[in-house]
Amino acid sequence: MQNLWHACLRRLEQELPAQQFNTWIRPLAAEQSAAGSDTLVLAAPNRFVLELVRERFAARIEKLAAEAAGRELGLRLVLARAAETPARPQPSAAAREVGDAPPAMERRRLNRAFSFESFVTGKANQLARAAAIQVAENPGISYNPLFIYGGVGLGKTHLLQAIGNYVAEHRPQARIRYTHAEQYVTDVVRAYQQKSFDEFKRYYHSLDLLLIDDIQFFSNKGRTQEEFFYAFNALVEAHKQIVITCDTYPKEIAGMEERLISRFGWGLTVAIEPPELEMRVAIVLKKAEAEAVALSEEIAFFIAKHIRSNVRELEGALKKVLAFARFTGRELSLDLAKEALRDILSVANRQVTVEGIQKTVAEYFKLKVSDMHSKKRSRNVARPRQVAMALAKDLTQMSLPEIGEAFGNRDHTTVLHACRTIATLRKQDQALNRDYLVLEQVLKG
Amino acid sequence: MRQLLLAIQPAPEATFDNFVPGANVELLARLRDVAGARSKEAVIYLWGDPGSGRTHLLRAAVRAAPDAGYVSAGSVLGAPEVRLLAVDDVERLADDEQVAVFRLINRARDGAGTVLAAGNVPPAQLALRDDLRSRLGWGLAYQVHPLTDADKALWLRAEAERRGLRLADDVVWYVLTHVRRDMPSLNAILEHLDRYSLERQRSVTLPLVRQALQELEG
Repeated sequence: MQNLWHACLRRLEQELPAQQFNTWIRPLAAEQSAAGSDTLVLAAPNRFVLELVRERFAARIEKLAAEAAGRELGLRLVLARAAETPARPQPSAAAREVGDAPPAMERRRLNRAFSFESFVTGKANQLARAAAIQVAENPGISYNPLFIYGGVGLGKTHLLQAIGNYVAEHRPQARIRYTHAEQYVTDVVRAYQQKSFDEFKRYYHSLDLLLIDDIQFFSNKGRTQEEFFYAFNALVEAHKQIVITCDTYPKEIAGMEERLISRFGWGLTVAIEPPELEMRVAIVLKKAEAEAVALSEEIAFFIAKHIRSNVRELEGALKKVLAFARFTGRELSLDLAKEALRDILSVANRQVTVEGIQKTVAEYFKLKVSDMHSKKRSRNVARPRQVAMALAKDLTQMSLPEIGEAFGNRDHTTVLHACRTIATLRKQDQALNRDYLVLEQVLKG
Repeated sequence: MRQLLLAIQPAPEATFDNFVPGANVELLARLRDVAGARSKEAVIYLWGDPGSGRTHLLRAAVRAAPDAGYVSAGSVLGAPEVRLLAVDDVERLADDEQVAVFRLINRARDGAGTVLAAGNVPPAQLALRDDLRSRLGWGLAYQVHPLTDADKALWLRAEAERRGLRLADDVVWYVLTHVRRDMPSLNAILEHLDRYSLERQRSVTLPLVRQALQELEG
């Protein structure tokens, strides 16, 4: 079966893009089986690879195996036995040589709160999470680099740090460095100024695990990109793991050297998508749990339904609700959550201008905007104009003379009269009061 | 005859005590806690219309905190290393300043203090880099609500009293209908009335106010 599998491998290597082949096919191992067996058994290093191979490549492998064997063969995918996990790599010679900073010093940069356990998983990020776990369990062996990309606030840093924390826990001797790309740029500049490039190189090239966040910050930084290129090559060659996060797919990073972009694609590239509603609810509940607060699903649902952009803003919204509850001394409830988030959620929240008021009022009463400035005094024009003036007084900080000026150079006493008239009418005329409230709502958003 | 005045009256320092909270009671309490290190928020963001009091609150927090600094768009790159850094007018941050604030927030999140930022719109609507915008929405975000006219009337009377002026109801009402009603404008008017009445040795009556405002416009 080994020979047969090798024949299949050669075919697949030709058929598939190198990245796919290296990521999914190469890690598979043919299991020994009795001669004449009619099943090819392939062991995948983890469930993630197993599922993906089953879904995307099983049919093709079966076909190739049949061709190579000259008869129909079944295909069975199994998980590799745990004992086959490669032995832990020893600290490299370079690491021992440098050996000045104990690993623990480097690990302080890792935030222990970021673990795989505290990472909420859903459809949007399960691939990325599985790949990160795989890399954390077998650094330098599975996918190198692991490139995680996605929009802001979706958990890229969390995953990156979770890998670091996992490796730190399971390989106490490993030299781990988490750095934000922006910090790396600063370090390169400093090394340049202090002429300490040798030290800089020695340090980065001695790492067992380099976690680099937001690589888009390298954009148009030639010197940084060059240094990183060397570090990248040295680490990959020594089978040391690199994990990179970015806000876009490698090919779309602007101002990045081609040779780096192509290297980013050597390992595995996974996306994190924005979380769907169920996942956002789960995230809010998890964050509340971390704050030791019992939050009802109803409130979590309300927050998740209205804050869609990213996880950070979900966290901000939850904080706001909890702070408001503490401040007012009230119990957590849906009403309280609505009240606490009212400002943030009023989507428009735009500044109300007198022009906006005139336009909105004119449209509402089916008039022309010019009627707002005109001298016409017929009731069907004059009343809406008065409404608009009253709204301008209520919703802007303008003075009465300024408002008068904006309405066709009228005197401020006219504005004052309008405000009083509308105030009185609103108490008597329900229809007009409703018009006023609707307009106010529309304008305030 | 007019008594000439030296322009030596300093603008009143922004403090928590001379901020009229109006509908911003929770915000004010929160900022007092942050300035007094009783609350460990990494990021707080305020937004509101011009004149709503954002800068006042930022400056008041910086005054009240032992280790704090204030910067605004244009001066962010020289930000001091402090526990509480106020960053004003974030909607106008230049590209390199956005990166700097991004880094400051990351540091604050790592436990190195608080970034207290202010802008003109809610965090999600800021036209800034995505990674900075989402970070500004990470912590507590508060709208600074403008005062109602009733609150402004109260403030006008109290502030006038502080300056040794007495404002009759008709004067307060006249001011609130004849000038822009944002706080900086009202403050400037009060300043002007104070000076105007002192120069002329007359008390602040409605005719004097009319005259003073006319001169201001003319």
